[in-house]
Amino acid sequence: MELDVATTAVLTGWLTATIRLAGPLLLAALGELFAERSGVLNIGIEGVMLLGALAAYLATWTGGNPWIGMLAGMAAGLVSGLFLGFLYVTVQASHVVVGIIFNIFALGLASYVYRLALSGISGVQTVAMFTAKPVPGLSEIPVLGPVLFSHTMPLYLTVLMVFVAAYTLYKTAFGLNLRAVGENPRAADTAGIDVARYRYIAVMISTVASGAAGAYLVLANVGQFRDTIIAGQGFIALAIVIFGRWDPWLAAIAALIFGAADALQLTLQLMGTGIPPQLLLALPYLLTIIAMSGLIGKANQPAAFMQPYRKE
Amino acid sequence: MILLERRLKPADSPRAIAVATILSVLAALMVGGLLFLPYGANPISAYAALFSEAFLSWRGFGFTLIKATPLILVGLGTVVAWRTGFGYLGFEGCLLVGAAAATIVALSAGEGGALAGIPFVLFLPLATLAALFAGAIWSGVIGLFKGRFGGNEVITSLMMNYVAILLVQYLVSGPLRAPGGLPQTTRLERDYWLPLLFDGNRAHAGILIALAAAALVWIVLMRSRLGFEMIVTGLNPKAAKFGGIEVGRRQLMAACLAGGLAALAGMMEVLGVHHRLMDGMAEGTGFIGIVAALLGKLHPLGVVIVSLLYAGMTVGADAMQRQAGLPGSIVFMIQSMILLFILTSDLFRYYRLHFPGRGRTLKDIRHGT
Repeated sequence: MELDVATTAVLTGWLTATIRLAGPLLLAALGELFAERSGVLNIGIEGVMLLGALAAYLATWTGGNPWIGMLAGMAAGLVSGLFLGFLYVTVQASHVVVGIIFNIFALGLASYVYRLALSGISGVQTVAMFTAKPVPGLSEIPVLGPVLFSHTMPLYLTVLMVFVAAYTLYKTAFGLNLRAVGENPRAADTAGIDVARYRYIAVMISTVASGAAGAYLVLANVGQFRDTIIAGQGFIALAIVIFGRWDPWLAAIAALIFGAADALQLTLQLMGTGIPPQLLLALPYLLTIIAMSGLIGKANQPAAFMQPYRKE
Repeated sequence: MILLERRLKPADSPRAIAVATILSVLAALMVGGLLFLPYGANPISAYAALFSEAFLSWRGFGFTLIKATPLILVGLGTVVAWRTGFGYLGFEGCLLVGAAAATIVALSAGEGGALAGIPFVLFLPLATLAALFAGAIWSGVIGLFKGRFGGNEVITSLMMNYVAILLVQYLVSGPLRAPGGLPQTTRLERDYWLPLLFDGNRAHAGILIALAAAALVWIVLMRSRLGFEMIVTGLNPKAAKFGGIEVGRRQLMAACLAGGLAALAGMMEVLGVHHRLMDGMAEGTGFIGIVAALLGKLHPLGVVIVSLLYAGMTVGADAMQRQAGLPGSIVFMIQSMILLFILTSDLFRYYRLHFPGRGRTLKDIRHGT
């Protein structure tokens, strides 16, 4: 079948945008997957992404190099993770309550620090960003080349992370223990696994990934910071984990579906079709709701999901 | 190094809880006070200004009542849902669909609409019913999934928020869009605005409806058989089932009631404050209402008190921001820190701090050394 030039251009644009938009979501979701597999629902990743984005923005603005920003975003994630881990694991507060409050706290903190840091500077400053690094050779394949092989470093690393996450989760003793903690903390405890330690580590994996995802958003996709930069993307990452049934491979597919819906509504808006863009954007959420509704069989969630564990 | 040592008995007397809560609030205010320093503001006078604007100035107090109204309603919804063991987080969405339903009724009461010229005394019950209905269906779907099919309401209700945000976006940029630039509806006719309560401030009648709802929730939940069954369901669904309570049905009722209450909050925002439906209207109120309910210990009276205080802080913060150039985000942080500190204070009711090398530890006592 021969595609005409205009259709090819639209298709290429759409698919490239899909991957571009899915990247940060997937990165945050891969981290969240570890937290949820250990039994912790970390709703706070929305706030962590925001703090990661701010740290990355300020660090890059000062240091001039996006890699410095990426490290700063991960550091912000690490600190958030220690704090959240303390509340989830040591204090044993409700995961839902902690997550919601942390998101409000992070929103306040981010806009406070941003204002403080930029007092006296007028206008929005754009920082140095990651540039696309086409893979030599492969990126010259028609359609597939630009879609798959001319992205930024964070995207390539995120794809690598899918493999790393799947390997860690299914092929290592750490992954086995982590899943045991999420399925049955009491049994894991009896078997000599330190439940608290595993949950701390899992929460920190999720927050470092979220911090990096926030940094990714600023440094590869936007180039600027504002309070509304995350605007629910942390919640989308939650949806991706759940829609992907707590599996890294399925999460990658779920992230592409969310990215595709987002990219398609942008494309259709530009083309001026009559389809309301909100309908396309709502579809992935509706799919997630159906996936979790119990209508199509019981969702295979970790048995100790959202349950604080108190050692007796 | 500081170690935590488990108490022989958790300190869970009312006095211990009160002390822990008060100390947490004070600690949060103190840490929050540090945030004023980079702006050269004295924390004590800043706090004083904040509270006097919100509660001692007549005009400011009016704004406090306006801001408290939706928080009370969402908070009451949280009380009903969470007490029944329905971990609902979709109040943002319910608020929006309630706002949309009330707007549609108000617009059809306008010139040329199906209900054109309807008097306010008929309009208000109609709009209320529409909002209640929309909110109850919105959350009822999730209640049904949970009660009938065992779905996870925490996740599904979070996702429903985004569906509602997109739905309102669609309405105000498509079928209900007013001619002109912004994605919003035309302004409602003045006849269908909620009446103002006093001279000299902007407080509208919504606060009365919110207070009436609080009384109603208190009676139903704390003083009726139905409420008893709901609370038992929340405490232990298995035991409730053995006791002959229809757990699924009680959770569905709680879901509908909670959603309806949050939808009323949306109606108040449209008829009392914005006088139109617009994109980005909820602004996290659905989540802050949950926080208010938690601080109010999931009790209707607690919700009213905390919502008023919370609203007051927000109004005071706005005033501070305008007058002294202090960022309003400080108050967000203080409000959430109060809660985080209260959550953390639980830890100290179960554990005590132990400094090694000073005094005997529990272990020493056990080993008889």
